[in-house]
Amino acid sequence: MAKPTRSLKAQNLFAVGTIHFVLVILSIIFLIPLLWMISTSLKTADKAVQIPPEWIPNPLEKGNYWEALTSAPFFVYARNTLIVCLLTVTGTVFSNAVVAYSFARLKWPGRETAFKITIATMMVPFPVLMVPLFEMFANFGWVGTFRPLWIPAWFAGAFNIFLMRQFFRGIPFELSEAAKIDGCSEWGIFVRVILPLAKPVLAVVALFSFMATWNDFLGPLLYLGSQDMFTLAIGLRDYHGQAGGTKWNLMMAASTAVVAPVIVLFFFTQRLFIQGIAATGLKG
Amino acid sequence: MKSILLTTVAVAIIGGGILYGERLAKDKPRDDGRVVITYWEKWSAFEKEAMEAVVNEFNDSQEKIFVKFVSVAGISNKITLATAGGVPPDVAGLFGGNLAQYAYHESVMPLDELAAESGISPDDYIPVYYDMCTYRGKLWALPSTPASTALHFNKAILREVGWDPENPPKTIEELDKLDKLAAIKNGDKMERMGFLPTEPGWWPFAWGPLFGGQLWNGYDKLTLTDPDVIRGYEWFGSYAEKYGSGTVQSFKEGLGTFNSPQNAFMDGRVATVMQGVWMANFIEMNNKDLEWAAAPFPTPADRPDLVNPTIIDLDILVIPRGAKHPKEAFEFIKFVQSQKGMELLCMGQKKNSPLKKVSKEFIENHPNPYVQLFTDLAYSPNVIVPPKTPIWPQLSQEIRTATEKINGGTDPKEALQDVQNKMQPLLDDIVKYEKARGVLTEEEIAKAKAGGKP
Amino acid sequence: MSETNIRAKKEARAGLLFALPWFIGFSVFLGYPLLKALYNSFTDYSILNPPVFIGAKNYIDLFQDKLFYQSLGNTLYVAFFSVPLSTVVALGLAMLLNTKVKGQAFYRTFFFLPALVPAVPLAILWLWLFNGEQGIINTMMIEPIGTWLNANLHTHLPTNINFLGDKAYAKSVLVLMSMWTTGHAMVIYLAGLQEVPKPLYEAADIDGASAWQRTKMVTLPLLSPVIMFNVIMAIIGSLQYFTQAYVMFPGGAPEQSTYLYTMYIFDSAFRDLRMGYASAMGWVMFLIILLLTNAALKFFDSKVHYEGG
Repeated sequence: MAKPTRSLKAQNLFAVGTIHFVLVILSIIFLIPLLWMISTSLKTADKAVQIPPEWIPNPLEKGNYWEALTSAPFFVYARNTLIVCLLTVTGTVFSNAVVAYSFARLKWPGRETAFKITIATMMVPFPVLMVPLFEMFANFGWVGTFRPLWIPAWFAGAFNIFLMRQFFRGIPFELSEAAKIDGCSEWGIFVRVILPLAKPVLAVVALFSFMATWNDFLGPLLYLGSQDMFTLAIGLRDYHGQAGGTKWNLMMAASTAVVAPVIVLFFFTQRLFIQGIAATGLKG
Repeated sequence: MKSILLTTVAVAIIGGGILYGERLAKDKPRDDGRVVITYWEKWSAFEKEAMEAVVNEFNDSQEKIFVKFVSVAGISNKITLATAGGVPPDVAGLFGGNLAQYAYHESVMPLDELAAESGISPDDYIPVYYDMCTYRGKLWALPSTPASTALHFNKAILREVGWDPENPPKTIEELDKLDKLAAIKNGDKMERMGFLPTEPGWWPFAWGPLFGGQLWNGYDKLTLTDPDVIRGYEWFGSYAEKYGSGTVQSFKEGLGTFNSPQNAFMDGRVATVMQGVWMANFIEMNNKDLEWAAAPFPTPADRPDLVNPTIIDLDILVIPRGAKHPKEAFEFIKFVQSQKGMELLCMGQKKNSPLKKVSKEFIENHPNPYVQLFTDLAYSPNVIVPPKTPIWPQLSQEIRTATEKINGGTDPKEALQDVQNKMQPLLDDIVKYEKARGVLTEEEIAKAKAGGKP
Repeated sequence: MSETNIRAKKEARAGLLFALPWFIGFSVFLGYPLLKALYNSFTDYSILNPPVFIGAKNYIDLFQDKLFYQSLGNTLYVAFFSVPLSTVVALGLAMLLNTKVKGQAFYRTFFFLPALVPAVPLAILWLWLFNGEQGIINTMMIEPIGTWLNANLHTHLPTNINFLGDKAYAKSVLVLMSMWTTGHAMVIYLAGLQEVPKPLYEAADIDGASAWQRTKMVTLPLLSPVIMFNVIMAIIGSLQYFTQAYVMFPGGAPEQSTYLYTMYIFDSAFRDLRMGYASAMGWVMFLIILLLTNAALKFFDSKVHYEGG
């Protein structure tokens, strides 16, 4: 049943072409929101609401970016966001790694039950916890500070424990045994043997948590009162409210500027990202 | 060695982040030893600037107190959360319609004593505005800027359709007639309307009272299915019915945002609109050449007793419970209540003054040529005020939903009955609790029965 | 014997010590609030004043509240359509990308992009794209296509759809939006696909399997644990959908057709200051999520293929 090679090649070429065609169409559909946002961010205020709309802004208002970013304290918001992200990401990676290590590689009574309960906690909807958490943080005197946003991150969470545990279980146990014979404590094994091998999954958790924190809206909305404490997500909403929904071009310029760093970060880390997730297997 | 170094650096960065975050959350004391009070306000743009001017004036006049002005979006939620969280500002600028809710939960401080000590008296104010600052016999707030509304009309369109531009509609029937004349429908699409009840759509509760219907008896019963209320909403719904509900909805959605040159009234897509005292200023900003005038909103021809209706809006200043410097905060509020402070503020925001006493210059120099009309309307016996009840935030949303349903073709009576059924039990709970606490006194009930109006 | 015993004891101690952060996190940030919410749900509570115990009144009121059913219905509607649709989209994109075409890095980023845009600007953008008069979905798609079809094929299609103002369409906007933000799921599928051993495909090719057969016989079974994971996450996520709807449809306009359950919880809690009522709604939601995820687990139990049995 062997077919001539030439036609197979042609067939392949056709298939690859079709796939590219489909991918390009889909890319356009997925890019529309972003392109529209960028396009609008470069228009004059009048052109931004013109019908029919223009895709290529003319004249090009590059000054929108500077105007938007200086008409509200966006640099302050960016600094705040970075502080919160730094504290949250470090806490998330560290605490989840420690806990996942325990679940994956240390035997203790009740471990399996504890793990099942851990997984079940993913089903607790945030709205249930919202009020009591707020009340608790208010009692701690934490409202109006960054603490409610980052301190919980230092105490692990089900999703990341699950992800890391899957990865840690895949690391050969012989390595731990060897280290133990060399006189390593569990902490020593964790730091010297496991963590260096777990870089991909640490990166995945770090990225997930970075993006979630960068985009978090409800947390800052509940806990941050004054403008000099705002993060970007909430600052952008505030800016929208303040601009009265009229300066669309500036609004979009601000949004684009807020999104850009995350997009760049994703573009450069995606390989690591996907490999990291692939390595965890995500399987039963 | 390397790992120790790395750990040290990491710990240093995280520690720095924590410390810096903590420092941000602290109020910085002033070098000159003045007490800093924080003031949260909802305004933006020129309205914010007007208040900032007052704040600066106050700060300049002071050696003991310094007001830190903060502009806050979504202030209603924020203030609740901050008060519950124990970190409220010292002064907050809120919406007058929500005061009953704050007062009911006592999340703001009663001001009766402070006001009496400062010589602030109810007689200083136009009655309706002072009344909006009270709840169950106590004073909980003082006005910042007030507003009243009137019919704004586009003279050029009136002339174009053969209507005397100096003689705008006086009755609802005339308004309907004008709408018929001015409306332009092109196929499925509306291009212009004479009047559109949902533009700007900020006071969905007002249509019942406009036809003489009361939304409640003033203390314990909602009366949303009162025949006059229903009549108001039937009229409201008649516009969607007349042109087709989908057509009107599309038209409405194509209208630009309020504060833009694409605003329906500014670019001539509606000939008349119910708007507030601030409108003149936005016309000036967005379409200087618009030929317009303002007059009292029309009333039903068979109800001459309802003439000069106006919807009352009020922005208020409160001291949240748990504020750190209530005395100093009231000093600032008192300054705003002075004729000088108030006129500076209201002139800057292009609104009327809530005070009875107004300087000649205020009226003469006011950028709104109709400021006297808006002031007079505030004294009208037919002012329309949102019900002073803690359930108002929810009730107003429910009424808004009912108007959406009416526009979608639901029978007004049915839509309002739904709201009535849903909200009455909530009001019952509140009345029960207030009676138990002795807040809802016989005196209060008698006052409500006597008409409730100031 | 005692040597291993000591070792086991030591290991257990270390294990508990390592898991300690989570035990604290679990009790303080989950267990306690969950129980406190349960207590609150039996009280009249404004958060500004101490709760007053009122028995099951909140639950009784809740089950008589039309808006409770309406908002729950809206949320289930969105979940019912968006979970399968977004699963298909995410899986489809991942499979396309897994064909190892050139420029993968770019395509991957493009497909992931909408998931990166913060919810608020994204919501504002959607408002604008779907605007009934000026939105580009109308001006660039519905109008030209509708006009052309009406002129040439004598159909009577609308040339303009009022997506946001018409209650027949508003909910579908929420569903549609969820298609665009499947980036996270797509990446996880992609990772899963890369784990499928190549020899299995080669074996299928030798057997002369078509692309569809290959997908059905090899890819889907091997991917089933990942699909299960993603679907369950999607169910939980879609039931908690909040920010975009809250920004786009204040009050659930038109006619509360987009008023989601989470919006009702948020409004009850922070607009009406009825924290007790909101807590009751939250607990009902918790039970619904438990029920639905359990049903999903049962469904997958018969279908999921675990490696090595």
